[in-house]
Amino acid sequence: MGKLRSIHLIEALAWLIIAAVFFIYSFDFNQKIEIYKFGATAWPRSILLMLVLVIVGNLFYQKANGSEAQPGRVGITEDDIGEADKSVSSFLNIGSFLILPLIFAWSLKPVGFYAATPIFTALVILLLGERRPKWVLGITLFIYILIILLFMVVLNAPLPQGTVSPFYDFSAFMLRMNTQLQHLF
Amino acid sequence: MIENFLAGSSALFGDPITILIFVFGVIGGMLFGAIPGVSMLTLAAILLPFSAGLEPAQGVMLFAVIYCTGTYGGAITAILFNIPGAPENAPTAFDGYPMTKQGRAGKAVGAAVLCSAIGGTASALLMMAATEPLAKWAIRNIGPPEIFALVFFGLAVASSVGGNTIWKGWMSVLLGLLVATIGQDPVGGINRYNFGMTDLAAGIAFVPAILGFFAVSEIFIQAEKRAFGKYNAPKLDVNFPTFLELWRYKIAVIRSILVGFFCGILPGIGATLAAFMGYGEAVRWSKNKEAFGKGNLEGVISSETANNAATGAAMIPLLALGLPGGALTAIMVAVFQFHDMEPGPLVFYNSPELIWVVFAAMFYANVSILFIGLIETKTILQLLRIPFHFLAPMILMLASIGSYIGRGLVLDVIVMFLAGMIGFLLRRSGYSIPGIVLGIILGKIGEQNFAQGMQMVHYDLVAYLSRPICALLILAGAITLGTGVYRALASNRTGANQNQ
Repeated sequence: MGKLRSIHLIEALAWLIIAAVFFIYSFDFNQKIEIYKFGATAWPRSILLMLVLVIVGNLFYQKANGSEAQPGRVGITEDDIGEADKSVSSFLNIGSFLILPLIFAWSLKPVGFYAATPIFTALVILLLGERRPKWVLGITLFIYILIILLFMVVLNAPLPQGTVSPFYDFSAFMLRMNTQLQHLF
Repeated sequence: MIENFLAGSSALFGDPITILIFVFGVIGGMLFGAIPGVSMLTLAAILLPFSAGLEPAQGVMLFAVIYCTGTYGGAITAILFNIPGAPENAPTAFDGYPMTKQGRAGKAVGAAVLCSAIGGTASALLMMAATEPLAKWAIRNIGPPEIFALVFFGLAVASSVGGNTIWKGWMSVLLGLLVATIGQDPVGGINRYNFGMTDLAAGIAFVPAILGFFAVSEIFIQAEKRAFGKYNAPKLDVNFPTFLELWRYKIAVIRSILVGFFCGILPGIGATLAAFMGYGEAVRWSKNKEAFGKGNLEGVISSETANNAATGAAMIPLLALGLPGGALTAIMVAVFQFHDMEPGPLVFYNSPELIWVVFAAMFYANVSILFIGLIETKTILQLLRIPFHFLAPMILMLASIGSYIGRGLVLDVIVMFLAGMIGFLLRRSGYSIPGIVLGIILGKIGEQNFAQGMQMVHYDLVAYLSRPICALLILAGAITLGTGVYRALASNRTGANQNQ
């Protein structure tokens, strides 16, 4: 096994699963193209074949060298948290931080940008360790007003308004305010 | 040429509205390029509908100026926060961000300002002198096989300068290429990998992918360091490099101008590949290869000179052939179409005044990078003083808007955050984020040109490789790839011997 560890095998397995999923789904569009002999699947399947070869190459490298970086590489990742004290609460914190933006993105359609933004902003600040209520509220408001001023008032950028009441009504209120403000000038 | 340039200059500075638009473009491009989370593309996407109300020359000039100054602006965020404003600034972060961590941000940003201005101005001058002959040369000698060969060479270079091993470099590039296959295939228009979602039929837009892989993943990395008590605020420093320090890199600057200009001429390639190749060539020719990626000023210089040198060159295929060289030049095609015009050889004959206003504006925009850039930089560097827990939500919000605005799809915001999560995990495991992004950008271009090239030579590989430029680029790519694999295998042998 050399320096090969279970983490390396899990990593290779994850890549192989990705390759397998893409290969299986490639049968959905396995059609001929009249003007192109190789068809629509040739390119993605060639990439998948190369990916499998590279995964094998990577495994051989890890067998000999473990997780060590190849000498002379540029842009190598530095493990800055290798010796950090990794408590459960730290993992929970980073886990929540990873999930929160996805919840925000998912909520944009029903809730809309105008209502979801201040909640998301405040939660991010809290998760990053700021606990003083005045600061959380102040910075949230500052960011919200800045973004609204720049994108809604100055640039008139169309942002998601939401589909569910009362969030949709709130977005409509914000847009009415903006229209009235634009009429003032 | 000089007469035309003077005529373009007087048209540019003879009308107060045109001057205002020019100044707006210069400052807007720099600011949007330098605000972490948004980019010049965000500004361009927002301004596109408004350009219909401008004169054709004003509209095209505005986007050309944003292109020049935004390409420079993106270097600031790459250096200060490891968040490239655009993919063409990705290699700048390789050495620029380590310099910020070492308290040398001022040197890196100062070099980026000067080299962006030099690269851009040289490119603008070359563009003015050589647009017509170069366009004629490109028509005769550059076809789909050559573009595919250059994509192959570019990907080989990208895989060799990112990731902890050549294998991880290639896995990153291949992941990017795989993501690029999502959506309609470029030859037959058949839907691929849309997993039943209609929005995915248009493919993965690269702006959300870039913002996710670079900006969001960087925020996650910094948040992780905070959670584990390992976060160190970047050190503020406003000392610019001296003239003598920069003079040492004159060869790197000249080489990067040539590399950037060559890449920029080729349709569909643009400044991104130019930056990677400029950086890759700097590593290849350096006597001190080990210093790259650890805060080497030459890395910043090579990347920033090359990407700005590509901006002028990218106008050549756009104006002479009607082929955009990147996302922003593609937006310029839309500006032409708003005014019932098509970019192409006829523009030179039908609207020479438009061409020369644009050329003059690009020249002055690049010169103004030097002056406004130096003043702006001193202010922008103060961003490092803002505590991370206040800056991060701002970047996330701006990135969300930047992703959404391009196509008006919530899916793009979801893609951005998913890319951020994946990027976070991959960066922790030593994969190359620039490699993934370059794969996404060049994937469709590569496939389309490979298919067209194969059709051109009737699927005869020998005929494909008998085209000299194509053969040369494929050979260069194969040597780059082969050298990387050879080194990896040599490491295997050394590692195996140590294990015994």
